[in-house]
Amino acid sequence: MTHPIQIKEESFQLHYSGALFWENQSLLMMSDVHLGKISHFRKYGAAVPQHALLKNFETMDVAIAQFDPKHVVFMGDLFHSSLNKEWELFEDWVGQKKMQLTLVEGNHDIISPVKYEALGITITPEFSLGNFFMTHHPEEREGQFNFSGHLHPAVRLTGLGRQSVRLRCFYKSSVQMILPAMGEFTGSHTMAVTKECEVFAILGDTVLPVQVHGRKA
Amino acid sequence: MNRQQLFEIANSWFTNQDWKPFPFQKDTWKAFLQGKNGLLNAPTGSGKTYALWFPIVLNYIKQNPNYKTKHKKGLKAIWITPLRALSQEIKQSAERVVTDLETQMTVGIRSGDTTTKTRAAQKKQMPDLLITTPESLQLLLATKGYDKIFKDCQAIVVDEWHEILGTKRGVQMELALSRLKSICKKLRIWGISATIGNMEQAREVLLGPASKALENSVLIKANLNKKITVKSIIPNKMETFPWRGHLGLHLLEYVVPIIKNSRTTLLFTNTRSQCEIWFQKILEKHPEFAGEIAMHHGSINKETRIWVENAIRNESLKAVVCTSSLDLGVDFAPVETVVQIGGPKGVARFLQRAGRSGHRPGKESVIYFLPTHAIELIEASALQKAVKHNTVEDRIPYLNSYDVLLQYLTTLAISDGFYPNKIFKEVSETFCYQAMSEDYWQWLLNFLVMGSQSLQSYDEYKKVEIEEDGKFKVNNRGVAMRHRFQIGTIVGDVNLTVKYQKGGYIGTIEEYFVSKLNKGDVFTFAGRNLEFIRIKDMQVHVKNSKKKTSKVSSWMGSRLTLSAQMSELLRNELYSSGEAMENQSVEIRSLAHIFERQRRESIVPQPDEFLIETFKSRDGHHAVFYPFEGRFVHEAMGSLLGYRISLLSPITFSLAFNDYGFELLSDKPIDMQQVLDNNLFTTDFLLDDLQKSLNATEMARRKFRDIAIISGMVFTGYPNKGIKMKHLQSNSQLLFEVFRDYEPDNLLFQQAFTETFEHQLEEGRLRLSMERIATQKIIWKQCEKPTPFAFPLITDRLSRERLSSEKLEDRIRRMAALLMK
Repeated sequence: MTHPIQIKEESFQLHYSGALFWENQSLLMMSDVHLGKISHFRKYGAAVPQHALLKNFETMDVAIAQFDPKHVVFMGDLFHSSLNKEWELFEDWVGQKKMQLTLVEGNHDIISPVKYEALGITITPEFSLGNFFMTHHPEEREGQFNFSGHLHPAVRLTGLGRQSVRLRCFYKSSVQMILPAMGEFTGSHTMAVTKECEVFAILGDTVLPVQVHGRKA
Repeated sequence: MNRQQLFEIANSWFTNQDWKPFPFQKDTWKAFLQGKNGLLNAPTGSGKTYALWFPIVLNYIKQNPNYKTKHKKGLKAIWITPLRALSQEIKQSAERVVTDLETQMTVGIRSGDTTTKTRAAQKKQMPDLLITTPESLQLLLATKGYDKIFKDCQAIVVDEWHEILGTKRGVQMELALSRLKSICKKLRIWGISATIGNMEQAREVLLGPASKALENSVLIKANLNKKITVKSIIPNKMETFPWRGHLGLHLLEYVVPIIKNSRTTLLFTNTRSQCEIWFQKILEKHPEFAGEIAMHHGSINKETRIWVENAIRNESLKAVVCTSSLDLGVDFAPVETVVQIGGPKGVARFLQRAGRSGHRPGKESVIYFLPTHAIELIEASALQKAVKHNTVEDRIPYLNSYDVLLQYLTTLAISDGFYPNKIFKEVSETFCYQAMSEDYWQWLLNFLVMGSQSLQSYDEYKKVEIEEDGKFKVNNRGVAMRHRFQIGTIVGDVNLTVKYQKGGYIGTIEEYFVSKLNKGDVFTFAGRNLEFIRIKDMQVHVKNSKKKTSKVSSWMGSRLTLSAQMSELLRNELYSSGEAMENQSVEIRSLAHIFERQRRESIVPQPDEFLIETFKSRDGHHAVFYPFEGRFVHEAMGSLLGYRISLLSPITFSLAFNDYGFELLSDKPIDMQQVLDNNLFTTDFLLDDLQKSLNATEMARRKFRDIAIISGMVFTGYPNKGIKMKHLQSNSQLLFEVFRDYEPDNLLFQQAFTETFEHQLEEGRLRLSMERIATQKIIWKQCEKPTPFAFPLITDRLSRERLSSEKLEDRIRRMAALLMK
């Protein structure tokens, strides 16, 4: 279900939903949910099955139930596009939540900040705590560790008999951690893997650390 | 004027040209003037255009006796061509007729190349004779007041019907015809088709089964009895001829004397990249040909193509390296010789290409077959037989293509709107939808209006609306605009325009190829070395480069397979290798050393034998099966067998196919004895197993991509401004998964499976070949290393399929290592 890791002497839990939990701060990060995407497509005449949109709220609830955080930080691209009726579902969802909510703005977040603030959600370009800072786009900063999203990382695993499989993943280097996209109807991007990085693939309801061996560096 | 007088006009025109009309031309004139519909079976370059332009013009003369002084305006006839490149040629022949007969009729073209200005002018006043493509015809149906444009139209001719028939463009044509039949009161429908196996069915699809139009129709055969000579190019030193490969460059020097000894030669290649390479290599080895040879394929810009076509006509070129882009239309009298490089995979195509040479009536056609690897010589030998016995394959029409129907209904909804009862009647009279139930029709209407089968809360789905009087109509301009951009059922990979940075259009290229390029990379395209600069707004910017490169632009969209008829001929040729030398064809004889080696390491199967080979390599454990049934059947059989084996114990396969057999590759050995003991080749539960095996592979997923685009669920973007292919691809992939998880009973999702079945896997053929295998003795050879037969298969790295019965977790645990490039 979860996988523990240590970064700069702090403890974190990686969850199979794609969420990441910071234990000492009781802070849960969730990235690239892309709410409203299915409704957006339907509004433009593409008949994506509508039932799928409830899944996003379920996934977020599962992650929250697991850690019962005091603070949830959305790492950007919370809403896919302009306002549509899924916002009403989101309002109901927020209404049931007691914890602090923060949105780190992503490139898709074009809904007016006033709407978020009305729900008690703080909206900010980035959010810092100690030696850690959270942004939507991955960034590197001297002496600081970065959490981000945006890329929808995935990894390709290969094996004997010309087999290969692609999985969503957490992608970590020495200075940053990129979270996978949590949304149901979102794609992913295959990352190049180097010896310097750590990869945690999501496989069903487990988080699987991937051994990186190279034929050559 | 009576018919005799009209014929007189036509006959005297022919006499003036020093020609004599063929009987098939006269038959067509007569049938047309009698008001009949029909299908004309005539090859390219036989004068088929005059067979139909004449009666169209004569009919006008008949109805307008003062035709020389007065011009009655308005659309009178539509000529449909599958390739817009052919429209100029067709226009010229039409213009010759209308001018020489002193009518004042006008001829116009409307296609993707037509300027906005011309389109607007046409909208005001249509030409009398309109030449267009199936897509552009659909676009006309998307125009407000289209019924007024067509109402006086008396004839529609669908040229090269055999090319359109077995595709979704054929379905599009059926639908357009179903509408035109209602709007145009005196419409005659004619098709022109090269010879195919199912000629009668072709007529039925064109005119509608059980329709009045079919009742009142004729099938006219040109019967020109052209003599075709096939010559195989056999290398002197067979020992060094490779076992695999698809380029055929080893035999380049054999082609040179052929080019030199002939007035004009066409070299047909199977893919555009092969075409590029051959052109390049001939010039490299024989610079003396510079300026005398040219290249022609579908991705080169129009001006260059037209220049090449004209150069062939006025004999200023010695040779042209080309692809199927020169299969159709365009009468090239000067072509004396044709060379086919690599297997043409179908007899009809081969005959059509052969017919490009000796184009004048009564002249002999000569075609050389150049094999690209040793085993292909078997195919060459089989082709000889096919030509001798006039064996031609069928073109299978599509059934129940809901995606095309949804697109068509949206088209009608954006122009004048439609009333379902009326359109249902028209649609159910087409071949494609003859068995569609009212329930399914209602399903499609619901889908158009609600995007689902019932109203849902929080939903803002918007497309077609039902107006108060029950008319289905699109009132949203955005929906209408997006739909217009998307009309067209040919879905290939997204093409990007290749342009010089300073301007100047070079051609189009598939995004999949571009995606592999980095800034500064040099690649060969359109015979030039180009340096890649960037992609911007669906355009690839390049500049000329002097650097040498091995990167040749490539295109995915052209995989062909052997037809059933070809496969049978091929097996017979293979079996003949066991006979006495004098009974063998020269091609088979030349392969003696390969057969010898195959026998040493394994066997060459005889008619009562079915061969399986297993061996181990660095890649894993290989099992290779040889049904010799053509690629598609092998895809089906490979998936089926892979699925059945995977039921015995959890296993994951990588599958490869070619026209001779298929390979199951896995990371652990297959217990072949168990496969044989369990009778896994049985036809029991064939359908059921095949269906399940489909779920285990990716085939239906790929079919779904086209369906999603055609039905308008994935938006391909505006020309030059669209989202990239990557977005599109992942969208249809994602969409497939969402449908699988949330709406698996959706008709469009189901269609992906039916199509894979009927068109990709050819379930009927599969059953027949399984029955054949059941009568054979299975011979399992455990080999040390790949045999000559296995070699081309196991080295295929590109087009592999995956099938697995293992839990993902288990597979991944064994993939302990993540290998890096």
